[in-house]
Amino acid sequence: MHDARIRLVSLVSLSIATFLSIAGATLTMAWLFLSPLTLKETVKSAAFLGVLVFVGIVAVVTQLSGNDGASYFIRTGVILLLAFSVYREWYPGEYLDLSVWLFGTKAGFDIGIAVEMSIQGLHEISREFARIRKAILLKGMKLEFRLIPALGFLLIHTHLMRARDQADLLAIRGFRSGGSCCPVFRTSKRDITMGILAILILSLSFIPVRDIFILQI
Amino acid sequence: MRLSLSAVEWHSGSWKFDADGVFTPGIHLISGRVGSGKTTLALLSSRLLRPDAGRVEYDGIGSRTLSFQHPEYHVTGSTLGEEAGSYGVDPSAACVRAGLAGREGEDPFRLSRGELKRFQLACILMRTWDLIILDEPFSALDCQGKLAICQSIQENRSSIVLVITHEQHILPRTDYLWEMRSGRLFGLGSLPGALSLWESAPGSVRMLREQGITPANLTRDDLMEAVCMMHG
Repeated sequence: MHDARIRLVSLVSLSIATFLSIAGATLTMAWLFLSPLTLKETVKSAAFLGVLVFVGIVAVVTQLSGNDGASYFIRTGVILLLAFSVYREWYPGEYLDLSVWLFGTKAGFDIGIAVEMSIQGLHEISREFARIRKAILLKGMKLEFRLIPALGFLLIHTHLMRARDQADLLAIRGFRSGGSCCPVFRTSKRDITMGILAILILSLSFIPVRDIFILQI
Repeated sequence: MRLSLSAVEWHSGSWKFDADGVFTPGIHLISGRVGSGKTTLALLSSRLLRPDAGRVEYDGIGSRTLSFQHPEYHVTGSTLGEEAGSYGVDPSAACVRAGLAGREGEDPFRLSRGELKRFQLACILMRTWDLIILDEPFSALDCQGKLAICQSIQENRSSIVLVITHEQHILPRTDYLWEMRSGRLFGLGSLPGALSLWESAPGSVRMLREQGITPANLTRDDLMEAVCMMHG
């Protein structure tokens, strides 16, 4: 999906649909299957699997305490899958365009640049983590629990250094508030279809399942 | 002892890396423009990156290390002493060698990047390795620091030493010259003959070449001597 505006609308619609019911979650899953390559890459992501395991633990505890842990797991799992898939399709500058389109060149520009810098920071952290892992291997050490504080400190340190450099750069360029930006979006027929489907799924999730299907027990 | 890269290929989107070459003991200088694939070569040669095609073979190489351009990535200790210990070297000797005598208890992140780089290279070069890969070893260093690192590199000539750099002024005495050109590795041969084929040669070497003079090697002394020849 290329158009960030349609992607955002789809994300919000499908998140609400998933949150509302299992039927909404199932339909959202079907929507995700329409982009099999992105879905395949997301499912293989270590970060996604790590968060899913954590959600799984919470679900088991919820189920054991007499609540509907399975429903929680399915709905939260699908929302996570959706979020990770949408994040995977991000390209640099997209949120600046989107924010300026939504809120204008003053507040919109500031929000957009903050979001862009945060997402770029996340990408950098992921790249840095890979480098640090390699450096640890070169020392003949294993990535074990006792190294986590050192690793966390290192990532925060490099992130702060980068943030300082970026702040200096913005100050040198005379940035105070707002800026000029001409948002450009590429909209394909597929984007429009996917967006309509997402809104349809949201609408369906408001209708009780028994009004659509005649269920016999 | 040798490192062989046989029909090695690696892809990132539309960008392609390919290399064929054999590295034997001595100092190999690998230069190239930014984005030409120097760091990819370092990662593939250290086997930290798996090639998409081809083979990276170690023949008689038992120990290997790689120094990243940014020294922060290597830090695992909360003091310089702990950090030196993680490399298996004596902390006070490492501090002395890096010009940080008596600072073993200091936090590595309190150092400037240049100091940390000096310390990290000192730790690596104090140990004996069969294969040493140094990715941009001169970055963040001042003139004195670069000369000291050149000296340390030259002391490790019995190992296979890959010096991957775009440094233009201070270089170690080099045995073999290689060049990365748009993702492809080119072996230019041994010095001084290889200097005539060097596309990304430093300005001083290019100037000497234009005058028909080939320096014996790339150290500051060699270049000075060549300049003296130019002036008769």
